Amino acid sequence: MSNQRIISIVLGFMCFALTAGIFIQIKTVRQYSTASGKNYEQNNLRAEVLRYKERYENKLKEIETIDDALTEKIEEATNQNTGLEEAKNQINEGNKLIGMSEVSGAGAIITLADSTLDASKVLDPSALVVHDLDLLYILNELKNAGAEAISINEQRIVSTTAIECGGNIITVNGEKIGSPFVIKAIGLPENFANLNRPGGYLERMREESLTAEFKKSNHITIPKYTGIINYKYAQSVK
Amino acid sequence: MKNVKKGKITLTITIGIACLALVTVMFMQFKIVNQVDLNQLEVMREEELRTELANWKQKYEEAQTQYEQKSQTLEEYNQKEASDSETAQLVEKELAQVNLLLGKTEVQGNGIEIKITENASAETSITSDNLNMIVNSLREAGAEAISINNERIINMSDIVMANNIIRVNQQRILAPYIIKAIGNQTYLESSLLGNGGEADKLIKLGHKVEIQKDNHVKIPSYDKELTTKYIES
Repeated sequence: MSNQRIISIVLGFMCFALTAGIFIQIKTVRQYSTASGKNYEQNNLRAEVLRYKERYENKLKEIETIDDALTEKIEEATNQNTGLEEAKNQINEGNKLIGMSEVSGAGAIITLADSTLDASKVLDPSALVVHDLDLLYILNELKNAGAEAISINEQRIVSTTAIECGGNIITVNGEKIGSPFVIKAIGLPENFANLNRPGGYLERMREESLTAEFKKSNHITIPKYTGIINYKYAQSVK
Repeated sequence: MKNVKKGKITLTITIGIACLALVTVMFMQFKIVNQVDLNQLEVMREEELRTELANWKQKYEEAQTQYEQKSQTLEEYNQKEASDSETAQLVEKELAQVNLLLGKTEVQGNGIEIKITENASAETSITSDNLNMIVNSLREAGAEAISINNERIINMSDIVMANNIIRVNQQRILAPYIIKAIGNQTYLESSLLGNGGEADKLIKLGHKVEIQKDNHVKIPSYDKELTTKYIES
């Protein structure tokens, strides 16, 4: 008699556990189906991002056409009016320095890359990657050595360029770039060579097993800035 | 006796089946929970997607304004072609814009003023690296013009240190460091003061950093000659 009782209690308990399990199951399944709804939304978002990216790039192309037309107009105007020659030259010169036109000349190319050592075998794996601060430091040294134009992975450095760190990726001009980093600079190659001095920053990076190559070059081409510089707050004071 | 044994066997089998069912349900459960975890990751990605989208939208809108401005200028050129003096005006306008972006003009606008007073007894003193990182943070926050102790920071400005003297644009500057920036005040301020921001770091080291919002920040022009010697074309 007491034996049967124990058995029914056990069975009842099992039934209870089973029912609880089923309820949890149903609940999760319900959550899961809302998650798949989110999946759908995500695809929409992704499509939207792509659409805006495309629209932006198209707009940039249109702006380029207008820029060309404007340059032509200025050319025409200066042809008719020799007094404007000086202004035109200043605009052209200025655009090179701002980063609004492609430039070429002598200079140096620095290539930085993450270490090839196995990250699981070192104490501090973060020492094996090139950081935003490394780039910032080298940019500053290049500027100090008299650089006239600089680019990192084909992103032109302009006066509003920030080097941002977002996890494993570095952002320059809002564009994501990754290792290897190719830094090009136009200026006197002999001055840039100072960056490669013994005990200098590049050598220290090499000591940490990172790649840091320095190469002088007689002909470097640096692309123009692909974004837009539009001041909303700053105005010239006359 | 026999009857009792038979009952036991039936019971054991029933319990065995129940257990099997329970275990199966549990395994299904585990599998789905695993999948849900994956989905959690995707939800995180969704947030990222949203920022990405906002980012591109903003870029697109900026491009749109720029496009409108430029088409308007072109329109003006087309209309005024006849008169020499008016095209001259437009060329001058173009030149003024170039000079603004170069940093050749004094500028004014909404912004912030940061005053950093060095504490000599602080753990580490203020270096050119600190200033460089502050400039980078300000640019990240969309600063349009920056100066340090009235030295305008242009595209190719350098900030270096030799023998404990900081030089900006090859000019030596001394503490206290006064950095001015024009741009969105809230963004500029929070980029420095946020936890881990450059100003926050300096404050935690014991230096004094004061940030003031000002609607008429004035930043001087770059006062040296801007020439290109090595750019060929």
